[in-house]
Amino acid sequence: MSTPLRRQFTLDIVKWNPWVATVDEIEATPEQLALVDQIATNPIGRPYYALLAHEPQVLSERTALMKATMYSQGGATRAERELAAVATSRANGCVHCASIHARLYAQLTKDDLTIQRLLDEGLQIPLPERERAIVDYAARLSLSPHELSAADLAPLRQAGLSDLAILDLTHVIGMFNWANQLYLSLGEVEPEDHTNP
Amino acid sequence: MAIPETRLPSDDLINQLSGTSPDSALGQLRAQRPDIIRYAEGNYRALLEPQDLAGVSRIERELIALRVATLTASQPLAEWHRTRLRELGVGAAEIAAVAGADIALLSPRQQGIIRHVDRVSQVPATSTAAHLAELTAAGLSPRDIVIIAQLTAFLSFQVRTLIGLRLLAEDL
Repeated sequence: MSTPLRRQFTLDIVKWNPWVATVDEIEATPEQLALVDQIATNPIGRPYYALLAHEPQVLSERTALMKATMYSQGGATRAERELAAVATSRANGCVHCASIHARLYAQLTKDDLTIQRLLDEGLQIPLPERERAIVDYAARLSLSPHELSAADLAPLRQAGLSDLAILDLTHVIGMFNWANQLYLSLGEVEPEDHTNP
Repeated sequence: MAIPETRLPSDDLINQLSGTSPDSALGQLRAQRPDIIRYAEGNYRALLEPQDLAGVSRIERELIALRVATLTASQPLAEWHRTRLRELGVGAAEIAAVAGADIALLSPRQQGIIRHVDRVSQVPATSTAAHLAELTAAGLSPRDIVIIAQLTAFLSFQVRTLIGLRLLAEDL
């Protein structure tokens, strides 16, 4: 499958620009603007939410689902969820999502080198057993979902992941296929020079 | 549009489509993530059965959902949307066209939407600005374009959640 990359994967902050007008550029309702103000806490991330605010009910429901996916208590750890998000985004070719969640993974694990290498070289880099199992599950469920069988869960179980952790990772991979498809089909990341002063 | 009678309020759509009883081990595992259940259902309603359809009809929404379910060989999900389409009065030939390779039976607008859905769900990284310009030229507004992307991507989430549950059900 060809996935032309518009920019190299990076740990740096990347700016994403939509291909169609956002509610900031057309006549928006006060409710739409309030919703974007509430969700987009960082100006660089605003255009994405201002685009999705064309359909505010979906943006609200989706934001709540993403929060539940990434931050529920117990089950998969925060770092494991971020790793699954990065692996899914790397597999699908979403430079923007991979950048955000690779930074979160690096913050949580203090391990910049591993995630940098995964971004640079790809998902096949050497990894410890647990991380390997998570990355493989994310890639398989993202790229060839209907080929999976129960045997695909064996490495996760051998690495000690609980049923709840596997369910959590499944939700993360599903949510990031969703996010990747939005970012990749509705706009593009800016070339490097504009975002790396 | 009213929620179909076949969907019980006590049992969410993902449980129904995965054949998960709330009392089973898998049902109880899912119940540990009540916000996922609540908001997955909320997204479904907001995307498939909203009060305000904007420029994307109920039938078009169901066609998009059936297309993603078919591309990922998700049988229960495809059957669910085929049933909704029959309820909406869509003919068997049109339903078969969306579920197969030959979409020539559909209107030019619907063919354009289906080709877009195929790309977004299968090879999203091949998307370009020109693809959205084509949808705009076919009369779709920015809001309609967002709805179609959200719906396609939501189905991609739902499909993968259902597969994960199937694997867990075989293995619990």
